[in-house]
Amino acid sequence: MEKYLRIMDWVYRICIWLSGSAIVIMTLVIPWGVFARKVLNSGSSWPEPVAIFCMVIFTFFGAAATYRACGHIAVDMLVQRLSAGKQRTLSQIVNVLMILISMFMMIYGIMLCQTTWNQSVDSLPILNVGLTYLPLPLGGFVIMLFIVERMVAGTQSHRPIVTYDHAPELSIVKEGGL
Amino acid sequence: MDAFILLGSLALLLAIGVPVAYSLGIASIVGAIWLGMPLEGVMIKISSGLSSFTLLAIPFFVLAGAIMAEGGMANRLVSFAYILVGFIRGGLSLVNILASTFFGAISGSSVADTASIGSVLIPEMEKKGYPRDFATAVTCSGSVQALLIPPSHNAVIYSLAAGGTVSIGALFLAGVLPGLLLGTTLAVMCLYFAHKRGYPKGEAIPLKQALKITLDAAWGLMTMVIILGGILSGIFTATESASIAVVWAFFVTMFIYRDYKWKDLPKLIHRTVKTVTVVMILIGFASSFGYIMTLMQLPLKMTTFFTGLSENKYAILMLINIMLLILGTLMDMAPLILILTPILLPLAKSLGLDPVHFGMVMLVNLGIGLITPPVGAVLFVGSAVGKLKMEQVVRSMLPFFGGLFVVLMIVTYVPLVSLFIPWLGGLVSDQQICAATSLFCP
Repeated sequence: MEKYLRIMDWVYRICIWLSGSAIVIMTLVIPWGVFARKVLNSGSSWPEPVAIFCMVIFTFFGAAATYRACGHIAVDMLVQRLSAGKQRTLSQIVNVLMILISMFMMIYGIMLCQTTWNQSVDSLPILNVGLTYLPLPLGGFVIMLFIVERMVAGTQSHRPIVTYDHAPELSIVKEGGL
Repeated sequence: MDAFILLGSLALLLAIGVPVAYSLGIASIVGAIWLGMPLEGVMIKISSGLSSFTLLAIPFFVLAGAIMAEGGMANRLVSFAYILVGFIRGGLSLVNILASTFFGAISGSSVADTASIGSVLIPEMEKKGYPRDFATAVTCSGSVQALLIPPSHNAVIYSLAAGGTVSIGALFLAGVLPGLLLGTTLAVMCLYFAHKRGYPKGEAIPLKQALKITLDAAWGLMTMVIILGGILSGIFTATESASIAVVWAFFVTMFIYRDYKWKDLPKLIHRTVKTVTVVMILIGFASSFGYIMTLMQLPLKMTTFFTGLSENKYAILMLINIMLLILGTLMDMAPLILILTPILLPLAKSLGLDPVHFGMVMLVNLGIGLITPPVGAVLFVGSAVGKLKMEQVVRSMLPFFGGLFVVLMIVTYVPLVSLFIPWLGGLVSDQQICAATSLFCP
């Protein structure tokens, strides 16, 4: 079991790295675009599609990792009033529903990629539209891995890799709150 | 029946604890199946909802705010506020409010505001003789300013939820006066309590030291100048200005202030990934949900329903306010903006409200929701920082709730408070101003 969880730690780590690198690239290419336009007087159209592609990667892989960290906003007010047994049953129902939506993201995400695979992005022809949608099914797949993990081994939000970012003074900040 | 299927399945999913974003996704699928619509359509809406250039502004604003908040900005803003109001009776409570005003100018997050200003000022206020519950109540109430004072990523979310038809620049400027009005109202209440309960004065800061502190804080406050200046002069778009704000925040924190460690940066990114992707995925699924709502003509039905209830615009507006306040106490801000804007904005427009003005009404309402039980993100964080039970904080917050309600009424019924500055900035036309004022002053 521990070995399985350690593999999942790696999946989590890869998601955070992908998502983190994507946001760093986003914050570099957009100012670069402004700099090129205003200072170098050579406006280029590539920063925009690149940043949007990064944002899609950031969103879907990041959201999958956040699911493992139990960071998504949910209404738990009613559930908390139930007995422990009922809470367990409900959380398994939630897991099944989550599996359904992740399968939807995978199946229809792949279909979306297929139908758009031959179109290229207007402002950056080397990028094809299908590729920019690939994070949707992939993100759906990863989140499914985390849901299965939660079904078999319970919540893993306490793993050291998941709590790695908790700053001592801000650890009280519930994640997901903005 | 359509509405019952869609909203009913959403309510059920939320009640059993499915995360809000995925509840919206599943409910859209249920709605699509009910309408006999191909599910590819839902997927296309999700992906197109997430492929907008404007949306990039949200991670940028949150990241810039996070860098500033953790990079020692909070301390400097508190010191700067101390120079300005610290010497007055009840000074530290005023410092708390003013520091939140400044904090609002670098970040749009009330939660981050409460966590960072609170962890500096609550212990300090207690040391100087203020009760801890009062200090926490002031921190929480004051933090609502962060939502209104530009930049506000919630205003960006509203603009997206409104279908991108409302200018982000106009919304940013619109937030200035309501934000200041809120701050002033709270400050006046704090002054009153200080005199009645004999809270202490602080000491005046020597000029030389004051200058140094001002200069220090100015580096951070430049962020707002860059953002607003850039947008208003048309040099950059909102998204571009947000990305430049990140670069600026990074530069100030790492090279001017230098009290953030380089090795902590990956942690900051890790945290930002967790907080922002929650909102982003919510926006994706909310756009498919909004699409299904439109197909079912829910916005239209809702408008007919509300306008059928009463002839009186003021009464309908009051109903909207009450509904928003109640929903705000139960749910978080971002999901509510995303779900309710497509329904309520057409109604507001049919009453003759300007979309910019309605955005402010919504932000103030849902901002109050952040500090009210049973579910209030700011209240949770505030109680944790103040190491108090939620009930204790809520008890000292009661008078402030009154103050906030008065502000809400003013923002709702006096559209000029929201529209005047955007009009000065040329982002709201003369006609819009006339239409808005003639509506309420016949």
